[in-house]
Amino acid sequence: MNIIVVLRQVPDLIEQLELDADGKSLDWGAASYIINESDDHALEQALLLKEAGGGTVTVVGLDFGNIEGSLHTAAAKGADRLIRLAWGEDAPPRLSHAAALYAAAIKPQNPDLVLVGVQAHDEWEGVLAPWLAATLGLPYVGVIRGVWRTETPGKVRVHKEFPGAVMAEFTMKLPAVLGILGAEKPPRYVPVSRIRAAAKSAQIVDQNVGVQPPAVGAQIEQLYFPAKGEGATMLTGSAEEVAARIAELLAERGLLR
Amino acid sequence: MPFSRPLMWNVPHLSEWLLYGLTPLVVIAFVAGVVWRARKWALGVAEPASPSAIERLKQLIQPRVLVDFIKNAFFQWRLVPDSFSSWMHLTIFWGMVLLFLGTAIATVDQDFLNLPFDWQLLQGNIYRLFELVLDLAGVALLVGLALAAYRRYVVKPERLGPNRRAVTRWDNFPFLGILAAIAISGFLVEGLRLAEGFRLEAQLRQVAAAEGSGSGLVAERKEILHRWGYEENLRHLGTERQEAELERVSQRAVVFPAAPWAPVGYGLGKIFAAIPEGVIRTLHQLLWWAHALLAFGFIVAVPFTKAFHLISSPISILYRNTGPVGRLPVVSESGAQTIRQLTWRQLLQADACTWCGKCQEVCPGYNCGYALSPKVLVQSVDYVLLRTPWKGNGQAGNLHEVISPDELWACCTCRACEEICPVCVEHPRLVIDMRRSLIDQGKVEEGVQDALMNFQRYGNSFGQSPRKRSTWVKTLDFPIKDALKEPVEYLWFTGDYAAYDQRVVEVTKKLAQVLHHLAVDFGLLMDKEQNAGNDVRRIGEEGLFDMLRQKNLEQLGKAHFAAVFTTDPHTYNALKNEYEISDGEGNGSGTGPLAGKPVLHYTELLDRWLQEGKLVPSEKLQGVATYHDPCYLGRYNGIYEAPRRVIEALGLKLVEMPRNRRNSFCCGAGGGRVWMKDIPGIERRPAELRVHEALALPGVQRLVVACPKDLVMFQDAVKTIGAEDRLQVVDIAELVWQAVGSPVTA
Repeated sequence: MNIIVVLRQVPDLIEQLELDADGKSLDWGAASYIINESDDHALEQALLLKEAGGGTVTVVGLDFGNIEGSLHTAAAKGADRLIRLAWGEDAPPRLSHAAALYAAAIKPQNPDLVLVGVQAHDEWEGVLAPWLAATLGLPYVGVIRGVWRTETPGKVRVHKEFPGAVMAEFTMKLPAVLGILGAEKPPRYVPVSRIRAAAKSAQIVDQNVGVQPPAVGAQIEQLYFPAKGEGATMLTGSAEEVAARIAELLAERGLLR
Repeated sequence: MPFSRPLMWNVPHLSEWLLYGLTPLVVIAFVAGVVWRARKWALGVAEPASPSAIERLKQLIQPRVLVDFIKNAFFQWRLVPDSFSSWMHLTIFWGMVLLFLGTAIATVDQDFLNLPFDWQLLQGNIYRLFELVLDLAGVALLVGLALAAYRRYVVKPERLGPNRRAVTRWDNFPFLGILAAIAISGFLVEGLRLAEGFRLEAQLRQVAAAEGSGSGLVAERKEILHRWGYEENLRHLGTERQEAELERVSQRAVVFPAAPWAPVGYGLGKIFAAIPEGVIRTLHQLLWWAHALLAFGFIVAVPFTKAFHLISSPISILYRNTGPVGRLPVVSESGAQTIRQLTWRQLLQADACTWCGKCQEVCPGYNCGYALSPKVLVQSVDYVLLRTPWKGNGQAGNLHEVISPDELWACCTCRACEEICPVCVEHPRLVIDMRRSLIDQGKVEEGVQDALMNFQRYGNSFGQSPRKRSTWVKTLDFPIKDALKEPVEYLWFTGDYAAYDQRVVEVTKKLAQVLHHLAVDFGLLMDKEQNAGNDVRRIGEEGLFDMLRQKNLEQLGKAHFAAVFTTDPHTYNALKNEYEISDGEGNGSGTGPLAGKPVLHYTELLDRWLQEGKLVPSEKLQGVATYHDPCYLGRYNGIYEAPRRVIEALGLKLVEMPRNRRNSFCCGAGGGRVWMKDIPGIERRPAELRVHEALALPGVQRLVVACPKDLVMFQDAVKTIGAEDRLQVVDIAELVWQAVGSPVTA
């Protein structure tokens, strides 16, 4: 099974985000970067599928943030091939452009399965996964919480989560694109010594797919932090008093019987 | 010509020959068994950063090393604090040693002196002394065995319970019983021999009573002796000595002149003298055989039972860790998955374990019902070792098949086990080597995984921005120097808790105020400090520890300072013992930015300043306090008295908890446990047990700590117990801050 995983770098929210001087975008240069959490799950799911029945895992990432570290970590975890797409800008590409870039890299690989995190917290135009599926002309299911091989080759069984904690099981024909919310197990830990070893031995293939940015519609007029509202009530007093008041409030709102 | 030790008295020729035939077989079986076990130690890899086996042997010529070895191996010095165990073991050990030496001397006396030279060492007064010493040794042995049996079968402490996991094939080998049987049969043989002598003496004296005195008397007595086949008992003596002995016995009517020097045998002999003559002789021969076979059986059993510790334990004591206990050796970053990835010393230690369970008794994990018992852990390693073939592939001897991750993650690395172990087993090191292997395989406890990811990303366990490390500095109304920008006398390496945990930050600020008040020239690495990695290393993530150490060393290299101090004992241990070496392990030391610079715990500084008069308490504190020794300050680095002197100098009355100093009881946070999920079904946590211990002390209002993790752990425990109104958990820094008049709050 030829599996492709898309890894994205997103701003780490433990740091205070800063706005650019024009007030229309983030100060991307001031942010520190972290692997997108659901992409990490997508990678884990890919590795689990490979371990369950063979295949290759190819990781594709844009040269942005600390993508090299993420690619090396992926290699240390067991990814077979690492592709880094050229990107020279300070800010990440707009969604349509990103989809086109990834699609251009992924298509020649003839994947059986493309796993993408179902969302990233810097997405403001919609989510990448279905857009990428459309660009590749492949079927798509999102909000996936586990992917398994089936007896018949050319198919996978997936669990999709619906609102209200309803789970559905699908059998999908391959090739397909899946938007991963969570792998069947949490992402594995990979020791630093293995990451260091991978950094020495793993080969990153640099690609310049040369896709021009498509014309885009919406433009951001203003980006700002939400103003502090009046709605919050601070509870004060001893722990017992606060606890009693919380219980009272929960009961008032019918959350406690 | 003086009397000498009787040789093969009442032992038939056939028995004698059988005994001599059996002896080499017993020796061969024993030696083969010992070699079989000792060869397994060679399955292990070389020991890093320690003298080789030969070098260490050579060190025995140094009086200090020799005395130390003799004390611990032959006088079980490490048992001394436990006087019951100490007396029990000393009496058994020395009883056995003396009896064994006695037997060996008797053998030499007979086979190497009497046989070739017709001369015995054991004659006259030397023989009298020999009899006395061996009789007393037998008594000592029996007393020790009685103490041991009393404890094992009457008191039944949990630590001596049956093995949870069988180690040898003969785990239930009746060690005490066999030793007792050897000692008792020995006394009985002696008693029966003397009884026979007493009977004979009585008959010889009867002649005297019948005939009065006269020259015919001696001839008459010789006749009696002859009738009794007495010459047979003198068969090993030369003709001249035979005649002299016959002469002596027939003149004085005393068969065994040394008998009163063997008080137990003498008493038994007097009792047994009532038994009919023929029965005595038969019983004597039977018990002589029983004694011999029991002793032979025991010797053969030694390598295959717990009794092997009498070989392996002294060797383990000789080859114990002589380096700093706070410096963890690294054989491989990926740790030990199999027996062959442990070092020979670790394998020897597993074999040296006596199953005494003292480690289990002091283990915070075990005491709280976690999956871990250090005793079972060591036994498990030995179990795998004994079943690993000497030849074979590297796959054999998988430790993880026997030792579960739960056992390994339950360890606080507090070193209480290692500290108390009479035979110098290094339990935490075994745990960490196996944890490394788990980490290498990606099998990581959930909470630990989160912490490790945080360390990787942010250099702290709190998952907070590195930029927030020095936020607390800005809340003070005086500046603190950035040691990366200007030189300072003292570099304060704060550690994570002091900088990120809101409760501990209050203590941190108070210490800063005290330092400012004392006009101490100090500074910080500010945002450039990362976790020192002490607990990361003990979790088993060696690569991450190395990364953190490199990052810190890089910053330390850029800073200008004369000494470094820290408020965190864990950080203290890493900086003091594991940072001096800048790359790898065991390549000497003294090249890093800390080389030659003192690494201090803040309590050491406060103590020094109090003694120098630089720190003068403006008001004496009132009340009674107890002090908790942090594991990484006390057991790991031997700092016990400085914090106590500070507490007392401030005016507080210090009362000790039952478990103090070397025997301090861990708060449960060490070795990465602070980040692990609570184990389901566990009702008592180590910190709660410790708080109960403090609460049981009359009049104690304060539990004083010198470690940020202790502050957090014990404050939580006090709340869980609901003892906030009875016990206040307070850091030494806060006490000092109060005593100098609560300066400049901000």
